[in-house]
Amino acid sequence: MEEEAETEEQQRFSYQQRLKAAVHYTVGCLCEEVALDKEMQFSKQTIAAISELTFRQCENFAKDLEMFARHAKRTTINTEDVKLLARRSNSLLKYITDKSEEIAQINLERKAQKKKKSEDGSKNSRQPAEAGVVESEN
Amino acid sequence: MADHNPDSDSTPRTLLRRVLDTADPRTPRRPRSARAGSCALGTLMWLWNLRGTGLERLRARRALLETASPRKLSGQTRTIARGRSHGARSVGRSAHIQASGHLEEQTPRTLLKNILLTAPESSILMPESVVKPVPAPQAVQPSRQESSCGSLELQLPELEPPTTLAPGLLAPGRRKQRLRLSVFQQGVDQGLSLSQEPQGNADASSLTRSLNLTFATPLQPQSVQRPGLARRPPARRAVDVGAFLRDLRDTSLAPPNIVLEDTQPFSQPMVGSPNVYHSLPCTPHTGAEDAEQAAGRKTQSSGPGLQKNSPGKPAQFLAGEAEEVNAFALGFLSTSSGVSGEDEVEPLHDGVEEAEKKMEEEGVSVSEMEATGAQGPSRVEEAEGHTEVTEAEGSQGTAEADGPGASSGDEDASGRAASPESASSTPESLQARRHHQFLEPAPAPGAAVLSSEPAEPLLVRHPPRPRTTGPRPRQDPHKAGLSHYVKLFSFYAKMPMERKALEMVEKCLDKYFQHLCDDLEVFAAHAGRKTVKPEDLELLMRRQGLVTDQVSLHVLVERHLPLEYRQLLIPCAYSGNSVFPAQ
Repeated sequence: MEEEAETEEQQRFSYQQRLKAAVHYTVGCLCEEVALDKEMQFSKQTIAAISELTFRQCENFAKDLEMFARHAKRTTINTEDVKLLARRSNSLLKYITDKSEEIAQINLERKAQKKKKSEDGSKNSRQPAEAGVVESEN
Repeated sequence: MADHNPDSDSTPRTLLRRVLDTADPRTPRRPRSARAGSCALGTLMWLWNLRGTGLERLRARRALLETASPRKLSGQTRTIARGRSHGARSVGRSAHIQASGHLEEQTPRTLLKNILLTAPESSILMPESVVKPVPAPQAVQPSRQESSCGSLELQLPELEPPTTLAPGLLAPGRRKQRLRLSVFQQGVDQGLSLSQEPQGNADASSLTRSLNLTFATPLQPQSVQRPGLARRPPARRAVDVGAFLRDLRDTSLAPPNIVLEDTQPFSQPMVGSPNVYHSLPCTPHTGAEDAEQAAGRKTQSSGPGLQKNSPGKPAQFLAGEAEEVNAFALGFLSTSSGVSGEDEVEPLHDGVEEAEKKMEEEGVSVSEMEATGAQGPSRVEEAEGHTEVTEAEGSQGTAEADGPGASSGDEDASGRAASPESASSTPESLQARRHHQFLEPAPAPGAAVLSSEPAEPLLVRHPPRPRTTGPRPRQDPHKAGLSHYVKLFSFYAKMPMERKALEMVEKCLDKYFQHLCDDLEVFAAHAGRKTVKPEDLELLMRRQGLVTDQVSLHVLVERHLPLEYRQLLIPCAYSGNSVFPAQ
């Protein structure tokens, strides 16, 4: 049992590490783009710091989202929760709102298509925003 | 009357009646003073041997000074009446033991209560020779014992407020408060002089001063609340008005905007400045800033105004003003030189009193008291200066100068009474009068401006005044509550803080609370509600990290809130295990 707990922990830890690595890779790519754009180089420590920061902030976001969903007496995280999360930054909020409307539109269209066809339409739309990922499943 | 139930006697009326009954023997107490002294001495010795704290000293003193005019003081404290009745009783019994035994019946609670209620009355202002407390209650003659009692009594108020009230403060304060309480104090003085002749002048004066102190005590708590700033008032006391004026002459960049933009100079600085000074959150600054601003404006005014006359005059003017300000503060009533008209003197009187009151409210130290006297005329001077400036502009042909020119006409000794009507006086005549003013002592025109001050709020001619005083009241209700937090902040900072820093703190607090309230509103809307509920607050605190999985909201409520709120917020806590659903 203890071994199971340990292995679980180890698995979680390794999973976490893999996630961190993925985040680090993504941050690196983004920083390269910005570096090309602004003609300013990023040091490795900077990229590492940014990725660590992003990871921790994602943890916070996740907890907040869960709290918001529970506050609204739901068990599923919603776009409303995400919008609540992004309210501090005006530009981010606007961006997310636009995206959510886009997604809502797409969903409506798909529903319309679904009625015609029997699709197993589950489209995952990922938002590249820092706020996190919004998944809308049908 | 011999019954002893101080606590049950809660109505001042009954106490007063008792006091009045005991007041008759006031004069007969004179021959009894020796006995009273001996009784008091015995009680003193007993008390000191027992505890030796200020409590007992005060009790002993009160037993001594039962003769303090009862009628006057009864209104203030019933404990005094109580003390007096006790004292009467103690006097009635000649034995030490009885007196001490009578005092023994007093519980510590009543003693403390008496002290708390009467501590302000005890005089800090004792003759310097008596300041040193007599540690041991040696058998002394009644006179010295009384003086020592007074000194012991001095201990009490000295212990409570760390600094501030010093003998110097009370001297001018006494004088100034006499202005307001003339009739009252006359009666008090008479009563005290009658009853306390045997006890010596020290106690009598101390009592009167203690009465004065009661008005001054509201000033103390502010300094007590901020021991970190306790060092301040003594430093301010050391600064004299002349230094203030000189400093202001050197630095006077801020006021000019107020002066030049203002088309109705009299109204704003006169009416606005007290408001400005009142709304300042940091009271230790007020005195210095008041004087600074006042003197700054004064210097500004004197600067341009004196250009034409003589460049050398400003220095003389200011220096003269410094002295005159002091003279003015001390005996303004007498300095009506060049000012004609009794009606002018009276409004001047009121104006200065108002200024004094305002200053007193802000927690004044000695120098501030002088500064108030200085600021009164200095504010007057600023009005002067404004008029001078505007006159200078008017001389150049500005239309606005007419308004201030008109108001500056108020300054003049001749045109003061007709200030509302003299609005259209010509700038030239004003200049001529200004020359006269320079020649005359400063307080005279200052007095004139003060006299015009009460008249000006009534004037409809000054439309900008409501405009400028408008923003101030508008801001105050919003930030009224934050000043408390700012004061807390400055207290915990334990070091002096600039006013701008405090303003920034206030802004940050404002934004912070705005954020919090917005969050609460959004949380409520998120849950589909229109009312903010405790769940929203819990969510907020969870985001803040105050409420965690280990620490719940109820735990925080129990930790930090008083018991009443706990009962409110945690329904189970007080229910006695019978909890019914909300619906």
